[in-house]
Amino acid sequence: VSRAGTQEIVGELREILARATGREELLGTSDETPLFGAGVGLDSLSGVMLLREVRRRYGVDVAAEDLNLDALASLGTLAAFIKDRSS
Amino acid sequence: MMVKCVIWDLDNTLLSGVYLESGTQPPAADPAMLAVLRQLRARGIIHAIATRNPAEAAGYAASVTGMEFAAAECGWGRKSDAVRRIITELGLAADAVAFVDDDLYERAEVSLAVPEALVLSPEDMADAVGWPEFSPATVTAEARRRGEMYAERRRRQEEARAFAGSRDEFLRYCGTRVTIAPAREEDAPRLHELSVRTHQFNTTGEAVAEAALRALIASPAHEVTAVRLSDRFGDDGLVGASIVDLGGGARGGRPTDAGTGGGEWTVTLLMMSCRAMGRGVIEALLAWLARSAARGGAQALAVPCLVTPLNVPLRLALAAAGFRAPETPEGPSAGDAVRYSRALSLTTLPALPGWATAPEAP
Repeated sequence: VSRAGTQEIVGELREILARATGREELLGTSDETPLFGAGVGLDSLSGVMLLREVRRRYGVDVAAEDLNLDALASLGTLAAFIKDRSS
Repeated sequence: MMVKCVIWDLDNTLLSGVYLESGTQPPAADPAMLAVLRQLRARGIIHAIATRNPAEAAGYAASVTGMEFAAAECGWGRKSDAVRRIITELGLAADAVAFVDDDLYERAEVSLAVPEALVLSPEDMADAVGWPEFSPATVTAEARRRGEMYAERRRRQEEARAFAGSRDEFLRYCGTRVTIAPAREEDAPRLHELSVRTHQFNTTGEAVAEAALRALIASPAHEVTAVRLSDRFGDDGLVGASIVDLGGGARGGRPTDAGTGGGEWTVTLLMMSCRAMGRGVIEALLAWLARSAARGGAQALAVPCLVTPLNVPLRLALAAAGFRAPETPEGPSAGDAVRYSRALSLTTLPALPGWATAPEAP
């Protein structure tokens, strides 16, 4: 994990997101697509599944460090957040 | 801690014999345990099965007891793993679960691996019906239907897994109906129950007494709102609520009223059953609150919230609805009281989702 680049993490997160939501089309999510709101439409349930998998895979507990969950703005911001904490 | 779910062993516990050793005629239900099961069901406690038997045993147990079980784990793995899977599937806390097994070794294994759970022998269980852990003060209509609702949830989730499309499309396909309306006095027992039982979606974590709720429902300075949920799989009843302090302005105020102009509405309690998670309820309620507050003349809607390890789902919902809280340099820690808020303007009000119906603010 520590050697992985942000783009590599984005690719992994894309798969995690598609699996957590059961929506294959989310494999096409760009690193700048907003996760909240129309489009991806991250909600409590899919958000919890995404955060749980991030903690399991990277050992990063986003909710414990980021009060406003700004890291979840997009896959790019989430990957940068993870990379910051795992290098 | 109140027990919300009893997980039953089958052989020589819920059944009066061993399922696989009984030839063509499997054993009947144990009469004493069946009586306990029915009594607890009437109190809103749900039931599940953890058994070292083939999967058919669960269906057999359902038919011989006339019960719909909320979850069933059949197999030859460790009982504690089965118990943990049931806890996860039903979204329960481990200390809200009781496990009943006649086998001393199984009980020891579960108590060691899941120390929070209440582990009982069938003999204990016959007595336990009278224990406070199994005796809720009031039994609401929602509580009595709880076992069925979990079974409905299982059928809904099975269809969701097979469904190709977004969550919103699935909610529409299910015929989801979220109804938002002022709470009535008769809702007080269920609102109290929600205040005690909800953790993942609860801003304060404090129980609110029925008498206090009745007073708030009658108060012109507060708005207590009840949210109901149903779809074609079943009716979940009253699943969520909010209590709003109108900031000095009385209910029905207009934007020009001196008391409300430029003010802020404060949501002193926001709570929702975790059963309603992922079903568009909390979004609908937050959108409705923002719309009502804006139409009532408020410039901002505030949601004070205690940060706990359990209410991350609520924080996700608040973030998704555009609420923010002031950050501290050291970051959040459990037990922090923070104040989420969002600015309101009549031109950028969030739309109410299509599956929600609600009376519009005047």
